[in-house]
Amino acid sequence: MVWAWLIPVLSFAAVPLIILFGKRLPAKGSPLAILAILAGFAIFWVVFAGFLSASPDTEGCEIGVGTEALTCNFKITWFEAGIPGADTSNHDRIEVAWGMTIDPLTIAMLGLATFVALMVQIYSLGYMRDHDGNFDPRLDWYYAFHALFIASMLTLVLADNFLLLYVAWELVGLCSYLLIGFWHERPEPREAAKKAFIVTRIGDVGLLVGILLLWSQVGSFSMTETFAAIENGVLSDGVITVSALLLFLGAMGKSAQFPFHVWLPDAMEGPTPVSALIHAATMVAAGVYLVARAFPLFSASDTAMLVVATIGLITALGAATIALVATDLKRILAYSTISHLGLMMLSLGAFGYTAAVFHLLAHGFAKALLFLGAGSVMHSTDELDVRQMGGLRRVMPVTAILFSIGALSLGGIPILAGFWSKDEILVAVNKELPVIFIVLTLVTALFSALYMARAMFVVFYGRFAEQFEHVHDAPKTMSITMGLLAVFAIVFGLLALDLPGPFKGIGYFIFYHEGHGLVVVAWVMGLSTLLAIAAFIFGYLAYARRSINLDGTRGTFARVLEVAENKYYVDEIYQWTVDRVVLSLSRFIAWVDRALVNDVGINGPGDITRVLGDRLKYHVTGYVYTYALAMALGLIGLAIFWWLVSR
Amino acid sequence: MNSFDQSALLLTILVPLAGAGLSMFLPRNRPNDAWYFAIFVSAITLLISVALFVRYDFGAGGYQFQRIYEWLDAPLNIDLHLAMDGIAATLVLLNGIVLFGAVLISQTIKHRSRDFFVLLLALGSGVFGVFVVQDLFFLFFFYELAVLPMYLLIGVWGSSTIFDPDRQRLWGIPIPFDLGSYNRPKEYGAMKLMLVLVAGSVLIWIGILAMYVAAAQEGSPTFSMVELGVLAEQGAFSPAFQNWVFPLFMIGFGVLAGLWPFHTWSPDGHVAAPTGVSMLHAGVLMKLGAFGIIRVGMVLLPEGAEAWMPVLIVLGTVNVVYGAISAMSQRDLKYIIGYSSVSHMGYVIMGIATLHPVGLAGAVLQMFSHGIMTALMFAMVGAIYERTHIRDITVLNGLMKRMGYTSFFFAIAGLASLGLPGLSGFVAEFMVFVGVFKTYLPLAVLAVFGAALTAIYILRLLARTFFGEPDPRWEGLNDASPVEKSVGAAFVLILLFVGVWPAPLTRVINVGVDSVMKLF
Repeated sequence: MVWAWLIPVLSFAAVPLIILFGKRLPAKGSPLAILAILAGFAIFWVVFAGFLSASPDTEGCEIGVGTEALTCNFKITWFEAGIPGADTSNHDRIEVAWGMTIDPLTIAMLGLATFVALMVQIYSLGYMRDHDGNFDPRLDWYYAFHALFIASMLTLVLADNFLLLYVAWELVGLCSYLLIGFWHERPEPREAAKKAFIVTRIGDVGLLVGILLLWSQVGSFSMTETFAAIENGVLSDGVITVSALLLFLGAMGKSAQFPFHVWLPDAMEGPTPVSALIHAATMVAAGVYLVARAFPLFSASDTAMLVVATIGLITALGAATIALVATDLKRILAYSTISHLGLMMLSLGAFGYTAAVFHLLAHGFAKALLFLGAGSVMHSTDELDVRQMGGLRRVMPVTAILFSIGALSLGGIPILAGFWSKDEILVAVNKELPVIFIVLTLVTALFSALYMARAMFVVFYGRFAEQFEHVHDAPKTMSITMGLLAVFAIVFGLLALDLPGPFKGIGYFIFYHEGHGLVVVAWVMGLSTLLAIAAFIFGYLAYARRSINLDGTRGTFARVLEVAENKYYVDEIYQWTVDRVVLSLSRFIAWVDRALVNDVGINGPGDITRVLGDRLKYHVTGYVYTYALAMALGLIGLAIFWWLVSR
Repeated sequence: MNSFDQSALLLTILVPLAGAGLSMFLPRNRPNDAWYFAIFVSAITLLISVALFVRYDFGAGGYQFQRIYEWLDAPLNIDLHLAMDGIAATLVLLNGIVLFGAVLISQTIKHRSRDFFVLLLALGSGVFGVFVVQDLFFLFFFYELAVLPMYLLIGVWGSSTIFDPDRQRLWGIPIPFDLGSYNRPKEYGAMKLMLVLVAGSVLIWIGILAMYVAAAQEGSPTFSMVELGVLAEQGAFSPAFQNWVFPLFMIGFGVLAGLWPFHTWSPDGHVAAPTGVSMLHAGVLMKLGAFGIIRVGMVLLPEGAEAWMPVLIVLGTVNVVYGAISAMSQRDLKYIIGYSSVSHMGYVIMGIATLHPVGLAGAVLQMFSHGIMTALMFAMVGAIYERTHIRDITVLNGLMKRMGYTSFFFAIAGLASLGLPGLSGFVAEFMVFVGVFKTYLPLAVLAVFGAALTAIYILRLLARTFFGEPDPRWEGLNDASPVEKSVGAAFVLILLFVGVWPAPLTRVINVGVDSVMKLF
């Protein structure tokens, strides 16, 4: 289990190798990245097996503070600052460690991240070619960034202290910046990358301040010590609430929660495999992971939990409505991701810890599959507008089937993975939160099935779009990886059932305080199943058979649709703020700096001196009579003065 | 102590000074000879500074490599007292590295290159002197030696900026001032830099004389910082005295550190200066100011420091946020870096003003990190300007395709500047945040926010300058020369090294900070 550190380190090591030697290696060094992550995936299974056989007696392992789950810690000191040898608890010294925590949450994330990254990297070998089969000219950089991306994400999930987590967190942000903007020759990816980095960075201000706030109370960055301090009541309620909300700001940025969601739909400007990675396993998963990781902190504050749940619900519902009307295939998927991330946050806010993590995994497999499917469509057709597509299953049967599996799974059709995890979320929301939450969550679930049905039926079924007559299906590298993901999208949900063996089912593995088996609330399960099936039937009739004509209804809802199609004008509000407020302020300050601080404050004394000198120099004429006059005037002045004084 | 330890500190001052002197005898019309000789000299100083840093015993701490050369007896009592603590060791290393880099980059100086290197080496000697002396008189002497050559270096070898009034608008209304890039002839930059810095050093000189007089009133007239330190510990300087002398040092040295609102000399100076001089100027010279505040202000006048730190930290915060916001609307590459220096020096000032061990250590590490990072940025901008003769980011576009190495090195420096973990800037800024958080919480939030603002202007710069489809004008552009590549690569490696493994630096800095913090 100690060897878990190798999982990220291998991928880190691949980065400089690819950058330095990639040009000279076959396939531009991409096999290095793939081998690194493949080895990481293999080590993950070793670590997993080691963890299942570990007990609180194993070296480095204990029952985790806060979670009550088995937790194993390993660390070395990274650096110290402040007075050498001083006690860290009085804040005169900080000690920061490279350390890792292995608990069920970490294991789950390691599995998801390594697997999806492996699939995406292999898939990219097929995707990053032009139509003649030549590799992208910057393929080495592409794989270097990929390796760095996944290495950072793996560090993030392994980190045992908040500072290391923040380090990895920022690196994840950097890599998504680099990969979203990978085709930087076009302006859109460039702007999208910048937007992603800056929006998440603003959330990160909250995260860093939250980390520092916890440090100032606890005197350590270690998560275990922080959670122990919370458990022992060292921290006041106010501090707990404020720091939880600050951490949540960071999570909102990364996990694209309202109002920080704007970067994610634009992020699809990057290569599609990158979108798959960002949406499924790395970037956006980090936010949900952070809340789950800091769950002892969040669950100690009712306010924080309510905020998490509310933001989650707003995001889930809002994004689902946008996904219903979006016309770009990748945008539909992007808003779907935002909506599902909202559901995960909602679930966390409803104490549905297991459900949230379970949904993160189930959604990850399905969404990676869907994005890779969309990538396959795009790779073959160079088209992303769903209105131009139709009946593509005739020319791309494999992609069509695999994409449909992903859509059905995410839409919540029974026994596929998405069904089980969504059901657990509904159960948690039903149990913990007011009735309005469960109603709106069910609406979101219905919308989610509807937009998945729409995307799937419009693109692959219905009338065939003739212009795609000569289109080919995905090459082997792409279809095999999608197939593997599809297998997970189908069967992964079965982990929700009570299983025999050491792994008793997801509820006994990933839990908060105590494990539990599958909880079935009949009306919730029944209703959600009914809604999902109804949505897909409606979708089939409306978009594939076209027996329900939707054209007429548009007029009735024109205003509502327009607002949703414009994404509730959130982007416009941001744009206005940046252009009118931030940039104007910046210009104003720059002007103040020049005109006031410099020209008045610094040049001013200089100018005054120069002008004074200019004027005063005329008194030095060199003519005797001038001086004589001055002497005479002086004498008269003195005389008057003497006369005044002596009187 | 072996013979190296005995003379090493003197050598750091004498080698570049002697090099400057000897350079004068080189033939005037063979620019390469002067360059080669300067490389030779600065390589020796680099070796000495590395050796000093490595040989500094951080387990023992305190002042090491002590050596006193007596000069003037009573009543003046001025000696050349050399010693180095953990803080100075870090900065000596920084100066060794940046001086070497700046000399290498100055390969392109062909006009009167002999004179250029004479002045550059003299400047480097002065900087070393300030870091290692323990005597106020010599500290001032070396301080002036470091500052004065700037005037000629900028005035003779600098470049002017042309004012383009058409593009400036605020809320749609044209503004008669060009925002950030006035018509700035190099003579203006040189003169302003000189006058502002001299005004600052007048304050410092008044402060030094006041210290001497106060010590004389106690019966032991001296310029020695060690003896003055002992007097300070005995309470020889009354709080009232400390309260009026400390601000002299704070403002006087602060001017050189780019303290708001006395910072405007710095962007203009950066812009006008030739590449190598910009590197030294932003990389090392600005650190002299911050170092002076610690070494003279805090150590000799601790009570004054405590009274004035709330003012200093507010000014530092203004530096951070104001510098970042100003940088956002600049168009000239060098002005952006100039304002980003103002912003980053703000972190140094904040870290000092916390009077918190972690914050102070962060300030010192930030000096090192910012020195390397800014020097690297200026080196790469110099390389770009050399080839395109343009520094306007609205005109430059897509350089990544033509100048891959230059762009890569610049991008890494930019990422270090926006505080990306894994590069040195993050560790330093983080330590400053920690210190400020414990002492002035609301300002810490502003400081963290300032780091987010940095991301905005750095990414804007990268997107405009390096990304995108290259302009056809850059068709025949050459990438960095071998010299530029090696300087860039070396500096990038240092940034990475410190970011990934800061312990070798922090453990040395920590002991230096320890001895300063004992006074508070």
